[in-house]
Amino acid sequence: MNKLAKKYLRPSQIPTKACHGCGIGMIENWLLQALDELGLKQEDVIFGTGIGCVGRQTFATWGGDNFGATHGRALAVATGLKLAQPDKKYLIVVGDGDAAAIGTSHLIHAARRNLGVTVICEDNMGYESTGGQFSPTTPAGYVTNSSPYGMVEPPFDPCDVVKAAGATFVAETTATQWHQTVKIVKKALGNDGFSFVHVRFPCNENFGAYALGTRDTLKNLEWIYEHTQGRKADGSESDFTWETGIRHDASNSRPEFSRILRDMNARVQADRAKVGSR
Amino acid sequence: MAERDVTRSRSSAGFAGGAPVRGEVSEGAVEAPSDRGCGAEPPSEVLVAPWVDWARGATRGRRLLEAGTYALTEGAIAAGCRVFAGYPITPATDIAEYMSKRLPQVGGYYMQCEDELAGMHTCAGASLGGLKAMTATSGPGYTLMHDAYGWAITNEIPLVVVDAMRVGPISGITGAPGQGEFYVARYATHGGNFETIVLSPSSVQEAFWLTIDAFNLSERFRTPVTILTDQVISDMWEDLFVPDDYDALDFVIPRKANLMMPFFPVGSADLDVPANIVGLGTGVCVSAYTHTEEGYDIEEMEAQWAQTYRLVNKIRHHRAELTRYETVGVDDAEVIAVAYGANARTVKTGVLESRRRGIRAGFVRLITLWPFLDELFERDVPYVVCELNYDGQLVREVMRAAPDKRKVHFMGKSAELHTVAEVVAGLEGVTRAGRLPELPYIWTEVR
Amino acid sequence: MALFKLEKKPPRGPAGRWDVVIGEDMCKACGFCLNVCPVDVFAWRTAPNKISWFPMYVAHEANCVGCMLCYQICPDFCIDVSSKTGFREPKEFASG
Repeated sequence: MNKLAKKYLRPSQIPTKACHGCGIGMIENWLLQALDELGLKQEDVIFGTGIGCVGRQTFATWGGDNFGATHGRALAVATGLKLAQPDKKYLIVVGDGDAAAIGTSHLIHAARRNLGVTVICEDNMGYESTGGQFSPTTPAGYVTNSSPYGMVEPPFDPCDVVKAAGATFVAETTATQWHQTVKIVKKALGNDGFSFVHVRFPCNENFGAYALGTRDTLKNLEWIYEHTQGRKADGSESDFTWETGIRHDASNSRPEFSRILRDMNARVQADRAKVGSR
Repeated sequence: MAERDVTRSRSSAGFAGGAPVRGEVSEGAVEAPSDRGCGAEPPSEVLVAPWVDWARGATRGRRLLEAGTYALTEGAIAAGCRVFAGYPITPATDIAEYMSKRLPQVGGYYMQCEDELAGMHTCAGASLGGLKAMTATSGPGYTLMHDAYGWAITNEIPLVVVDAMRVGPISGITGAPGQGEFYVARYATHGGNFETIVLSPSSVQEAFWLTIDAFNLSERFRTPVTILTDQVISDMWEDLFVPDDYDALDFVIPRKANLMMPFFPVGSADLDVPANIVGLGTGVCVSAYTHTEEGYDIEEMEAQWAQTYRLVNKIRHHRAELTRYETVGVDDAEVIAVAYGANARTVKTGVLESRRRGIRAGFVRLITLWPFLDELFERDVPYVVCELNYDGQLVREVMRAAPDKRKVHFMGKSAELHTVAEVVAGLEGVTRAGRLPELPYIWTEVR
Repeated sequence: MALFKLEKKPPRGPAGRWDVVIGEDMCKACGFCLNVCPVDVFAWRTAPNKISWFPMYVAHEANCVGCMLCYQICPDFCIDVSSKTGFREPKEFASG
């Protein structure tokens, strides 16, 4: 196990349940680097996740306190936890199903409230845990287990949704941008407010097999690389390019949600003390 | 302001029409018909609940005229609740409004979530972080809470949920009482392999004490507790005694923290295990899956057995700690009426009226609905189950528990409480003719 | 430009500056480290590990130039690259 895994992770859960070549482990390694470079200890961070590949493969790998909520509800649980334990850093690691489908309502409201958590939305562009059905982030036209004639629903980017809802830090990277991701996660953790980092990564077993036609780990990570760069290895343009980088940075510009409630409580109690009422 | 000695007037134990205890009849009980029975002896009235002692001990306080929703709110605050996360819904909306006002006064947090399922998950998260939490809803919201309810059950998170039932199915009649979630509250989530604790108050005063009891039980058993009430109890106004100093209530069980393994003592039915708290650095894992003692997921049959052993038997093996009920005149009864919640009020009056007319009627009012109190139905007499639904839910449990299910009769009604006349007619019919009479809008078939 | 470099460059600079460690019993044989490495450090084992994959091993540690790409790309927390005592920390390389 590498040094950071020894420092932060739970030994009984490593090797993880992830498939070989799955991007989830890579991203988790970068999260650990960000925590380490910020000087955060295991007990300073609460790790929360949901259901699906990103949920199952990360849950309990964290050596400190962690929770795996029901599908889509990690942010609803984190909202309650933040009220009770406001001084911790929250890393909410969820997939595209949790964030962009079943849990989008909670995502929007957590962003609107500026809840002080960092959401890492690890996006493998489908519901891979259940075999590879499409999700709201599957690229248009791609064939999946439940879009055998090509994905006809238009996808959306959850970054746009949270930005519109009022998130104070929004960024997007991919599984071939390790240094950017570490830097961006550090910035995201530095925001006392709602931070959203969207990281696209490859799935070999399902998305690779059905949408890209191969389970070859190298080819699927190259596919991610092409769509990050906008160009294929032979120089030709890829069919689309992801817009990576920091999309919106208004870090620390608005009060954090639990702080708003604590300030209100202080005001209410001060007023009552003045009036002397019960 | 002069202090009133509450103990000498009508007791504040929350008994409809007075608070006799274990065979005594209170002097102040004047709401019920004054002559209590056929013959010289009044029927014995028994109330088994922890608040009988609490009410005696808590003498300094205020007497208010308030609604059930107010009592439920104040009971929660008195028990130490510091988070409410829910969504407004008739008839529980007033609880949300009272909480939004009261919680900031005591340093707590009122959260109005985007829907009930967020509300229940947020309550679970807040409780997991160390704050006592509660939500309040009605049937349509309770249905949305099932996922989170199960999450709280499997992770042994203390929580209190108020379900103020109204007529169903679905939105039904928003301003009328119902009792259609009797089984839903028992099976408040999917997947089986769990027991639940469900309590039901029948007066505003009782709602106050029972809420404190619900929080205590949720801490002792590390489980969500449902307070199953209804639109009438929520909205009606009665006199309510509220103690002055909540900090001095020594019967409130405080939140304690479990700081070491096992986080989940699977395979044991121990009570009074402190709650796990995320954020103390214990390394606890909390999830939706079948789990080990440490909390991470495991896919083995042996682990499922051990987890289920705990979730079911921590409640079943400690039923004595969960027994709460009221009975009237059951010792010499020739017929027993059964009810809970709001309609228990009129049913009890009907029982006492029947006594006046020469029928030795008895009354069982359930306060603990789940785990079901089978021991109250051991007498081999006819039972007349009065409940506020037409499909028959409580009656099925009574049929199961009673020695002869053919002697269990069903008087179901919806949208209005049973009238005293209907109850009397039912009890007379069963005693004198062996069956219920035909009464308009009273449902008698179970199958 | 591709992410993976199937043609390896010859090593530069003094040999043996870097310690490269792979946790072979955790390796799931994705092949990323071998293919992203610009020089020739890794090779495949011919016998399976405890989790039934044929793992990677460090065949030519002396060739390592300390780019840390293998460390960044491993999905299973297997790899540690550190400078041997006495040498300074590597400069960070921009990712592809």
